[in-house]
Amino acid sequence: MAEKILEIKDLCVEFNTDRGVIRAVNGVNLEVYKGKTLGVVGESGSGKSVTALSIMRLIPSPPGKIARGTIDYRGENLLEIPFDEMRRIRGNKIAMIFQEPMTSLNPVFTVGNQIEEVLELHQKELSKEQRRDKAIEMLHLVGIPSPEKRVTEYPHQLSGGMRQRVMIAMSLACEPDILIADEPTTALDVTIQAQILELMNKLQKELGMGIIMITHDLGVVAETCDDVAVMYCGQIVERAEVKELFNHPQHPYTKGLIESIPSFDSTTGERKDRLPTIEGMVPSLFDLPDGCNFQDRCNFATDKCRGSEGEPVLKSIGTHHDAACFHPLS
Amino acid sequence: MNIWAYIIRRLLYVIPVLLGVCLIIFVLFNMVSPDPTLIMLGKHASLSQMEDLRRELGLDRSWFLQYLDVVKSAFTFEFGRSWSTKQEIIEMIKAGAIPSLTLSVPAFVLSTVISIAISLFVAFFRGTFIDKSVVFLCVTMMSISSLAYILFGQWFFAFKLGWFEISGYEFGFPDFVPYVILPVIIWVMLGLGPDVRFYRTIILDEIYQDYVRTARAKGLGEKVIMFKHVLKNAMIPIITYVIIQIPFLILGALLLESFFSIPGLGGITLNAINSSDFPVVKAMTILISVAYILFSVLTDVLYTLVDPRVRLK
Ligand SMILES: Nc1ncnc2c1ncn2[C@@H]1O[C@H](COP(=O)(O)OP(=O)(O)O)[C@@H](O)[C@H]1O
Ligand code: SF4
Ligand SMILES: [Mg+2]
Repeated sequence: MAEKILEIKDLCVEFNTDRGVIRAVNGVNLEVYKGKTLGVVGESGSGKSVTALSIMRLIPSPPGKIARGTIDYRGENLLEIPFDEMRRIRGNKIAMIFQEPMTSLNPVFTVGNQIEEVLELHQKELSKEQRRDKAIEMLHLVGIPSPEKRVTEYPHQLSGGMRQRVMIAMSLACEPDILIADEPTTALDVTIQAQILELMNKLQKELGMGIIMITHDLGVVAETCDDVAVMYCGQIVERAEVKELFNHPQHPYTKGLIESIPSFDSTTGERKDRLPTIEGMVPSLFDLPDGCNFQDRCNFATDKCRGSEGEPVLKSIGTHHDAACFHPLS
Repeated sequence: MNIWAYIIRRLLYVIPVLLGVCLIIFVLFNMVSPDPTLIMLGKHASLSQMEDLRRELGLDRSWFLQYLDVVKSAFTFEFGRSWSTKQEIIEMIKAGAIPSLTLSVPAFVLSTVISIAISLFVAFFRGTFIDKSVVFLCVTMMSISSLAYILFGQWFFAFKLGWFEISGYEFGFPDFVPYVILPVIIWVMLGLGPDVRFYRTIILDEIYQDYVRTARAKGLGEKVIMFKHVLKNAMIPIITYVIIQIPFLILGALLLESFFSIPGLGGITLNAINSSDFPVVKAMTILISVAYILFSVLTDVLYTLVDPRVRLK
């Protein structure tokens, strides 16, 4: 069993909005292991980014607030350590890359500058020249051609895929324990997406960090993850090893997600017709139903699901397999 | 492309713009405005007197030659003589520029620096009570008439407390200082409301950008993020806003100069307008147009230095 480096317990994050307080993340538990990739999947708005930002303590406040929970990183609760200590962890021990490669880099500084900045912050022993060398080395590592030249270029001179590589280079410059990747390939086209995922897999083998891979695409999960957590309305509804999850989904929502993965024709490589997506809409966080949040979209819903016995809680169903459903599928 | 080549090209581009501006000024002053001989000699002048004066003023020549005079004055700053004081206009401008600039330059620098500093401060505390109070204060200050500031300042600080001169001006440093302090303070107060609101909006626009979140995720502190990442991006709109105000500084501040009896260009221009002294009005118009065009070139050049996305073309 690999070493556990991060453990989130009972995380609750609330936002104050014009229409009242919403709970964007509601009682999430997650574990990240060294050298392993944890996938967090769910539709847009299910609380994936908020979970990720909580780990970095980057929830915009106001309006956001971490209402409850702990995030243990190597024996320390990140939510309680002083802010200065948190800053020494950010970008150094825990790094993050974002969904928007086009806007995540500062347009008025060179990419070299932006990589060197993180080194200057966390590796004070390096000289200016060493920082430049390391920046070039990192650009080389993430597969950017002629890095000596690219290092002096500005973000607008690079394509989206190249910018995301720069983000990866920057986030890995200090060899973090954990890399949080929040939909790193969503904004990129399919071939670039595959290249970036492959790159991340390769770098993980070389550097051994734990990865939290956030995505709404189970196809990405299949390619990169060891363990998966499925989120719905701010809660984890199913959690398992990746093979187990794909082969024996227990929660009707997970099953729906798997069935709606667009598959590829193995001979032509063309995308086949889209399979049915899950019908219905995600309920608003302002008025969640009693009982199971998925009841309106679920073919198996019973009175029990509609609130006669409260909410379904995450329960162990097999080895390393949990689901929050009153009527698990098998 | 090299930055110097770019500057030279931009300056060459100024020439046609200036010719166009001169044409507009020429049309307004030489073709549309009433016959200057009537203004100067009054209704009862004889025809021959008018003829003589027209010849003296060069108004009997072709329109093209008259237009060339306007163009020439834009490049040489030789504006001829004032109709009412008969002085060389360029000398009048030189004399008036000193009081105007001793008021407007310190006032402008102070108000820009103070407004940006306050904006950074409130942007740091965005959404909090401090931020909201400052915005409220700005709106309040903006809704008070500028006359109220001037009259209150003169009555309270100059008359009641006797801290400053109520009005007047003396040439030479440091003699002018006591005369400009109060108008400078009032200038800064007048600018504070709109400027802080403008800079705050620009800075807040930047603070919510994705690259700021990246900077935080790197572990940078809020001060570095504010002064390095945010400010450098915010400089792009700030530069335009600041530089485009500079040409108007030579005019000084019409209102402040007249209330404080400062013999600056603002006063000269007002007098010229009141006495239909067209050559002076024309000279000021040309001067400000030239300054405006040159400073817009400066804005473009500064852009290329702050914003790498701007191509030199
Ligand atoms: N800055 C914010 N202000 C208000 N509500 C927010 C904010 N950020 C997130 N939320 C709420 O949290 C929910 C989950 O958002 P998010 O974690 O970004 O979803 P996703 O799973 O798509 O990453 C959103 O539906 C929204 O209601
Ligand atoms: S608890 Fe009921 S409604 Fe919810 S997913 Fe399971 S079967 Fe469907
Ligand atoms: Mg998201």
